[in-house]
Amino acid sequence: MHDMRFTLPGQDLNREPFALKPPDFQKKCEVMITDRGYKCRLTNIVTISSQEKLFLLRIINPQERELFNFRPGQFLMLEVPGYGEAPISISSDNSNHEFIEICIRKAGHVTSAMFEAKQGAVVSIRGPFGTAFPMEAMEGSNVLLVAGGLGIAPVRAPLYWIGNHRDRYKNVYLLYGAKEPSQLLFSYQFEEWKKVSKVELMTIVENPDASWAGRTGMITELFNDFSFDAKKTFAIVCGPPVMFKFVCNYLDGKGIPMNRMFVSLERRMHCGMGKCCRCMVGSTFTCLDGPVFDYWSVMNLKEAI
Amino acid sequence: MIYKVISKTEFRKFIDALVKHNTAYGPRAVDTGKDGKPIYQFMPVTSADEIDFDYTVTHSSAKHLFLPYRDELSRFRFNDEDWEQEVRYEAPPLILIGLRPCDINAINILDEVMLHGPYPSPYYLARRKNTFIIGMDHLPLPDCFCKSMNRHTVNHGFNLFCSDIGDKYYLSINSSKAYTFLKEFMLEEPSYEDNCLLIERRKTIKQSFTTNIEVTGLPVFLDIEFDSPIWQKWGDKCLSCGSCAMVCPTCYCYSVEERFDVDLKGSSRQNHLYSCNLIDFAQVAGGHNFRPRNGDRLKYRYYHHYRGFAANDNQQICVGCNRCGRACLADINPKDVINDLRLERESCMICVSPSPDRT
Amino acid sequence: MNHLGFKIDKVKIASFDFTCCEGCQLQLANKESTLPAFLGLLDIRNFREISSERYDDYDIALIEGSITRSDEIERLKAIRAQAKVLVAFGSCACFGGVNSLKNKIPGEEAVRGVYGDKTVQTMPSTKISDIVPVDLMIPGCPVSKAEVERIIVGVVTRAPNNLPKYPVCVDCKQKLNTCLFDLGEVCLGPVTKAGCDAVCPTGKTVCLGCRGPADDMNFPSFIQIVKEKGLSLDEMHEKLAFYNGFADFLDHES
Repeated sequence: MHDMRFTLPGQDLNREPFALKPPDFQKKCEVMITDRGYKCRLTNIVTISSQEKLFLLRIINPQERELFNFRPGQFLMLEVPGYGEAPISISSDNSNHEFIEICIRKAGHVTSAMFEAKQGAVVSIRGPFGTAFPMEAMEGSNVLLVAGGLGIAPVRAPLYWIGNHRDRYKNVYLLYGAKEPSQLLFSYQFEEWKKVSKVELMTIVENPDASWAGRTGMITELFNDFSFDAKKTFAIVCGPPVMFKFVCNYLDGKGIPMNRMFVSLERRMHCGMGKCCRCMVGSTFTCLDGPVFDYWSVMNLKEAI
Repeated sequence: MIYKVISKTEFRKFIDALVKHNTAYGPRAVDTGKDGKPIYQFMPVTSADEIDFDYTVTHSSAKHLFLPYRDELSRFRFNDEDWEQEVRYEAPPLILIGLRPCDINAINILDEVMLHGPYPSPYYLARRKNTFIIGMDHLPLPDCFCKSMNRHTVNHGFNLFCSDIGDKYYLSINSSKAYTFLKEFMLEEPSYEDNCLLIERRKTIKQSFTTNIEVTGLPVFLDIEFDSPIWQKWGDKCLSCGSCAMVCPTCYCYSVEERFDVDLKGSSRQNHLYSCNLIDFAQVAGGHNFRPRNGDRLKYRYYHHYRGFAANDNQQICVGCNRCGRACLADINPKDVINDLRLERESCMICVSPSPDRT
Repeated sequence: MNHLGFKIDKVKIASFDFTCCEGCQLQLANKESTLPAFLGLLDIRNFREISSERYDDYDIALIEGSITRSDEIERLKAIRAQAKVLVAFGSCACFGGVNSLKNKIPGEEAVRGVYGDKTVQTMPSTKISDIVPVDLMIPGCPVSKAEVERIIVGVVTRAPNNLPKYPVCVDCKQKLNTCLFDLGEVCLGPVTKAGCDAVCPTGKTVCLGCRGPADDMNFPSFIQIVKEKGLSLDEMHEKLAFYNGFADFLDHES
């Protein structure tokens, strides 16, 4: 007799308007289809070293292409259907809405699948996520970019930014170190960075081969080659944790305030949205509060490096 | 909120009507422990007779009804070089009976994480919207410490809350859905006596706590004790088995896995409730593990529960139910770990030279 | 299939049994719902449970069973030479398995107990990784078909799937099982590698560790717990020795 009266009414979220729109990861809203990304085509795949490939992604849907606006330093979650998702830093020019460039080293499931993928394959991305390098705050100052190994990938985005707004910055230095000469990525762009972007580029390798005529040693060696006004300099340091510890401590000694040095931390994020907790360092989500941190914050994070 | 009282027999009729027509979960004895006491879990129920209204505590929390241990987030279907993604939020209406105040507080904390962050989760929202929660108060067990966490009372996050005042329940009705259902049953306005009984009941509950943890200033304390040897001490006991996180009402860390269908025509993306105590939780591509030792991971769990969340959301994530302590074979529980940490510091204080006398 | 622009081919697979009950291989022919799809991934070259055809060109070799006779060593080495990927399939192949129980008694006594006066050539039961390098391990007694499917799919799609690193307790708690320690039993769940979906504890039977030790499991603490709970250490040792998966820990302990 009581049949219908005691049945709970259900609410179907699948029919709500948000479920029909593409998600905008930069806008706060009530609910978001956090699991759906923007479909992309791999328009070009460039082998840039024995271990790394550069992928050019183009978001297929024009409306979604418009929604994807990133700032240098941010990352995206790359989805390769069947294989999974991985956080990848964006290494392209953020004024270019047509293509997104990501530089990948084969390390896990997703990246291995990307290495097998052929031009024209369809993947998807979510993002952009995380914090960015404060490029506006650096205006009127010198910028010191320090990259070790694959650390050049996240540094490439601020490099493009600086190239696009070169008159807003004073001297720009790029210090780039790698294990071997063949592992210096993007060497085909070195001349462009020097001449067009007017960046003072210095490179160094740890293990030189016969062809190498440049500097040899650890990246900190390069600091002996030039001088800069520490009081008017911002630094961006990307590379393995050991490297940025050395570099930042050195720069600290030189007099660059810790809150003007920026590093990008690496963690294995599973969601990119501050929920899975895989990237937590102490109480800080690398995906929300990072990956870009100033060195002062990093110093205050236990276990960060 | 509307307050009413209902006799226990009438309440059973109400519950019976609800569970007969809906999917419902309630506390049931599933086993008898070697101490002779029943072991309870939230299990599917189809009649009021199956429910142990006077249960003590469930071994696992009801968290998995909002955050399933394994949940399909989306499906991909491949067609040659292209693919389609299908995202569905499946959450049929559900009735949850007998949650304790700490359990409801835990759900409120999960709301904070899942719904009030920058990326509100539709999966969670769908389940939360379609769940009807009936809370019930209880006298604390000897090891409950929710009062220390200030989670022994709750004023939102439920549809209906029942306080036991003898042969009647004092009802706090917090949703029109609940009121609509209840209207069909014999409700009474609370009498003066009922109100007195409620206050008496609350007082008894409050005074019955025997386990207390001093959490004042704990976040800073944990920061200072980051390198304390006690983490290694407790870490050496820890089995890294993740039991604590599985039974915890607020642990929500997960991992995302993607699996091809066996016929390779599609794949499924699933999240899987994980635990920060498991060995590979903080491992990154390439193999580096940021928290390789048991002690590191145990410490991290305490940091997340008592420090991290306090710093992020201005509240501690632990509700004081001590389910983790009961589930832990190695007998690691928040009370002992935190007290040990405090003791460590306080014994250290003695060594510090006394302040100079004022002259 | 042409997902991501690269072609996914069937794998040439062969399956061989040594000293075992062939139960693990039979598992492969189970789970009818996905069986056609699963067989669709495979180009079966040699697999007596499934097909009577025999070929010697295979890339993946599943090895079931432990090694207990000298002629098995030669046969195993020949398979190793042919296979690109050699899989230790089941607890016997991975650890020596139940067969290893006979290692505890003198060989002649074991033979006499089973075969009487008949002469039988035998040697102590050995896991296959003691004889040839092993590329993949799929432990279990028997193996879990779901896990085998996952791993084979991983091989086919070139995305190797790993076994879980954590202990059985995770899966067991997710099943809302009552902890068998609470019922006064010694269960090896806290030290055993997960992936079996905690089938035994779910059926109220203690875990006997057929999947071997979980990564970096805490053995000293486990022993301590068994002691403190007043449970039998002998019983614990007996269980740890059952599938020989914990041999390294037991050797270390004594």
